[in-house]
Amino acid sequence: MTLEISGLKAANDAFTLGPIDLTVDEEILSVLGPSGCGKTTLLSLVAGILDADAGTVHLNGTDLTGLPPEDRGTAYVFQDGALFPHMTVRENVTYAADSAAVVDELTETLAVADLMDRTVGTLSGGERQRVALARALAARPDALLLDEPLANLDAPIKRRLRFELRDFLSQLDIPVVYVTHDQRQATTMGDRIAVMRDGTVRQAGTAEEIFERPATRFVAEFTGSVNLFTADVLDRDDDGLCLAWGDTVLDAPAYGVESDTVWFCIRPEYVMLLREDRPVDERDNVLRGRIRRRVYQGDDYVVEFQPDAVADPIEIRLPTPVYERLSLDDRDRVRVSLKKRAIHVVDDAGVRSE
Amino acid sequence: MFQTDSTTETFESRTDWYRVGLTLGALLLLYYLVPLASLLLSQSPGAVVERLGDGYVIAATRNSLVTATASTLLSATFGLPLAYWLARTNFGGKNAILTLVLLPLVFPPIVSGMLLLQVFGPAGLGGLLSVEVTRSLVGIVLAQTFVASPFFVVTAKAAFESVDRRLEYASRSLGKDGETTFRKVTLPLAKPGIVAGLTLTFARAMGEFGATLMLAYYPRTLPVQIWQSFLTDGLDAAFPVAVVLVGVAVVSLLVINALGRNPWRGESE
Repeated sequence: MTLEISGLKAANDAFTLGPIDLTVDEEILSVLGPSGCGKTTLLSLVAGILDADAGTVHLNGTDLTGLPPEDRGTAYVFQDGALFPHMTVRENVTYAADSAAVVDELTETLAVADLMDRTVGTLSGGERQRVALARALAARPDALLLDEPLANLDAPIKRRLRFELRDFLSQLDIPVVYVTHDQRQATTMGDRIAVMRDGTVRQAGTAEEIFERPATRFVAEFTGSVNLFTADVLDRDDDGLCLAWGDTVLDAPAYGVESDTVWFCIRPEYVMLLREDRPVDERDNVLRGRIRRRVYQGDDYVVEFQPDAVADPIEIRLPTPVYERLSLDDRDRVRVSLKKRAIHVVDDAGVRSE
Repeated sequence: MFQTDSTTETFESRTDWYRVGLTLGALLLLYYLVPLASLLLSQSPGAVVERLGDGYVIAATRNSLVTATASTLLSATFGLPLAYWLARTNFGGKNAILTLVLLPLVFPPIVSGMLLLQVFGPAGLGGLLSVEVTRSLVGIVLAQTFVASPFFVVTAKAAFESVDRRLEYASRSLGKDGETTFRKVTLPLAKPGIVAGLTLTFARAMGEFGATLMLAYYPRTLPVQIWQSFLTDGLDAAFPVAVVLVGVAVVSLLVINALGRNPWRGESE
C-alpha cells in the first residue's frame, strides 16, 4: 500500500501550503515542524476535511481528489482523540468496526479491553489516545493519519507511550503519517522524517540523514543542532574542504559545496574531548580552549567549550561516566577534536533559500 | 504607610459598590416575586380550582395545547436544517440571514399579526385559495409559528455550534457518511440544546397573544380567553385561565433547567 502526495497545494487568506510531494509506503512517516508550518493542514487535505487547490493524493493507486472523507479510507486521529463523549469506550471502538474479531484483537493489543464499559469522560489522556487509535484501526483504514497524538500527555506517560506506540505502529501494514513538533517523537516514530516549514517540506529522509546531514540551516536548528557556525572556504578538492573559522583552519567533507561562505554543524555528542595524555594528530581539527560552563542534566553533562581561536563557544555533550573519567570537574584547559567526518557542511545557497 | 492607606480606601469603596449592587439586584428580584405572591394570595385556591373545570377554560386549554404543539413541530421541521446550516456555514451573507431569523423576535407581535393578516387573510392568500384562515386553528398556528419559531432556530443553532466539528470529521474519516454522522454524533450531542429550544418555542407559542389576536381571534386560545374573560367579567374570571398558563410556564422552566445538566458532561467534570 502506498500513499502518494504530489504537487498538493492549498491556500487561505493567511497561509499557503505546498506544493508538497511525499510518498509513504507501508511505513511511518513523521512530519516534523514548528507550529503553524502547515502539518495539520497537510493531514486535513489528505483526509478530505479540507479541499486542495491543486495537486493529487493517491492511495493504492486510487485518486482521492474530490472524494468525501468517508470514501477515502484515511482514518484521522486527532490530537486529543476526539472520542464521542456521549458514547462508552465500547461504543466508540465499535462505531465503525469492521468485525468483532478486529475489535477484540485491537482492544487486547492496545490494552483498552478493561476500559470498554467506561464513559469517555473518565479516561486519562493516555487511555484516550489508545481508545482513539483502536477506534480508527477498527475501521480497517488504508492509511492512518495521526495529529500530535502525544502532545497533551504528561512527560512520563509520553515517554512510555512513545515506545509502545512505535512498536504498535511499525507492525501495521499501511502507510502511517505521524505529525509532531517534537523531534524526539519524530525520530522514535518515524521510519523516515519530513521536516516542514512555512507550508513546504524542507527535507525528507531517515532520522540519521536529517539529524546528521541537515540540508538547510533551518533543519539543522530545528532538529537541535546547537553547534552551527559560519566559515569561509579557503580551498577545496575532491576529498574535502578547507575552512577558515576564526583564527583556525578546519578540514571538512565536501558534499559538492560551491559557495565561498558556508554553514557547518557538529552535533554536541560528536565533539571529542581529548584526554590530557593522549597524543594528538593535528589533522583531526584539534582546538585548544577552556571550559566555560558545566551543566549536569541527569543522564549526561553539557559542557560549554570556548576555543582560543574562535569567538563562538561549542557545546559538548558527554555521558556522565565519560565526564567523570576525564575528571573534568578539576580541569579548565582542555583540547577538543572536531573529527572531519563528524562535521556537516550546509551549502550557503541552502541558507539563502530559507 | 501611604500605600496602606490607599489600599484600605480602595477596599472600602469596593464594599460600598458591592452593597449598592446587591441592593439593586434584590429589588429587582422582589419585583419579580411580588406579583407571583399576589396571584397565590389574592385568589382563594378553592374558587380557582372550581372554575378550572368550566367549559370555556377547558376549550381554551385544548385549543392552546393543540396549536402550540403543532407550531412547535412546524418550527422543528423547518428550523432544524436552517439551524444546522447557520451553525456550520461560513457563508458571507450569514449575518443577514440571522437578522431575518431574529426579526420576528423584535417585532411587536401585534404588528406581526397585522402583516400575517395581510398575507394570509381574506385579502391575501386565504382569499385566493378560499381558505378561512382567520377563524381557524390554522390561523393560530401560523401566528404562533411566526412569533415562536425563531426561539427554536436560535437555540438549536447554539446547540449545534457547541458540538466540536472534529467529532464530525472523526466520524467521517471513519467511513461514516454525512447523514449517519449527523444522526449518530451531531444530533445526540446537540439534543439537550434542541429540546431546550423546543420547550422555549412551546412556551412562547402557548403565551402568544398579539399576533393571534389579529389573525385568529376565534377559536380562543388561553391568552385570548384571558382577554375575553377580563373584558366581560373582570379580573376574577380571568384568573383560573391564567393559572393554567402559569402552570405551563413553570413546567417549561423546570424542563429547561433539567436539560442544563448534560448527562455525559456531568460525569466527566
